[in-house]
Amino acid sequence: MNKTAFAGDGIVIFKEVAQAMKGEKTVRAAGYEVKLIAPPPEMRMGCDLALEINLVEQAGIERLFKERNVPYVQVTPLTKGVSRMCDVVKVTDFGKWVMVKAGNMKLSFEKESGLIVNISGGGCPDIPYLNAEMVDKPLASAPHPNKLGYTLCATMLQRAYEEALDIFNGGSRP
Amino acid sequence: MMLLFGTIPDKNLTMTYGQVRQEGDYLFANGQRFSRTQGTGAMISAALAITNYFKLEAPHVLVAGDIGDGKGTRDIYKYLIEHIVELSPEVLTMHYSQPIMSLMKKFCEAVKGGANRPFLIADAGAMYAAKGAGLAGEFDIFTPDPSEIAFLADPLATHPAYISHHLFDCDASKIPQQIIEAYLLKSAARMLIVKGKRDYIAQGGEILATINEPDVPTLEPIGGTGDTITGLVSALVYAGMTPKEAAVFACRTNRMAGKLVNPTPATKVKDIIDMFPRVCKEYYCAWSGICYMDSSTTAPNTPQI
Repeated sequence: MNKTAFAGDGIVIFKEVAQAMKGEKTVRAAGYEVKLIAPPPEMRMGCDLALEINLVEQAGIERLFKERNVPYVQVTPLTKGVSRMCDVVKVTDFGKWVMVKAGNMKLSFEKESGLIVNISGGGCPDIPYLNAEMVDKPLASAPHPNKLGYTLCATMLQRAYEEALDIFNGGSRP
Repeated sequence: MMLLFGTIPDKNLTMTYGQVRQEGDYLFANGQRFSRTQGTGAMISAALAITNYFKLEAPHVLVAGDIGDGKGTRDIYKYLIEHIVELSPEVLTMHYSQPIMSLMKKFCEAVKGGANRPFLIADAGAMYAAKGAGLAGEFDIFTPDPSEIAFLADPLATHPAYISHHLFDCDASKIPQQIIEAYLLKSAARMLIVKGKRDYIAQGGEILATINEPDVPTLEPIGGTGDTITGLVSALVYAGMTPKEAAVFACRTNRMAGKLVNPTPATKVKDIIDMFPRVCKEYYCAWSGICYMDSSTTAPNTPQI
């Protein structure tokens, strides 16, 4: 079988080459597949070294950088023309319950108690895990998806969670 | 043999391959126990309900614990790539997993080495990886939800969180157009089952069937109700139905089980899965004229699937 070279779909931009090298060492040691690359011209920040990653692992990699004090500028899709994550949030009223949808993720809670009753959507492995950790817990004390999750699905679930918490706390309750 | 592949949200579950059985709320394979709620567990549990009903060999599973760091995903891909030729499943369904395109590429290379190509189904992270790697056409069925069909219709996106806003903002009436676009982009499997308020079954850009009855709006918030359709269609194909028949039956089975449960947004998917045997017994004969009889069912007894 031919060896398939790593080809990611996301890029981490750093200010300095040394930071990029430290970043590469840090994420590689944590088991992620990465590659040091020259950033595309439109992404150059004065430094000619960036890190190619699997974009889906953005949340876990960013958390790792924060824990290990690796400064970076931004994480962005490598594909030109796709630069922003979906930020559309939709709210559906089911009477006693509310469903908040952010991107591909949905979180439903009981209006009266704030109890998270279901999490739906997504296809990354941390979503069933977050479901197990968050469902049947009150919004206020449930673990946050951005603390436990690793993937873009978890990032979207965090948005749904924040919106749900805001609604429960008297925000734009439907 | 039917093989179901995916990750389980238990960091202590080591990679496990074996035939699966259910006891209460748990599934067991090769001495390992794991939950049947949501994700891969729900998909397996749904498939098992169908193989039990038709008295077929229970599915084999290839699972590993993964909470999002990708370690379990890499383990099961490695095993699958090394063993797919000797395992030679008739149906292979790939489900929750870290969408790592390089691993999907290796798998698609490896599967070509076998004498008998499996019927390939993908959903969740495996579907993201196949689309992102440009390998959607290697698969027989994808089972996207409305967010995911928009992702398949987006030429630039490698994950549903990064689809273009004009695609995300659209309403359900745009799904038929997105199906056409996904086929034009070669981002679709041979057949698509788009799960939603109305389910669409499409092939080659053409919509073959839609299912919208019974309409149970409270199924949408319940996590795992898409995973069950993936498990159902896998087992129904394995049982010998054509892909189109299996797709229609999977959608109808899921909806009818949902109706029988009379769910609220707080209902758990395991309650819906537990209704599948009843749906099979009470409706399959009437839906198809293809009936199966055992000591506990009153359905007519011929012919069998």
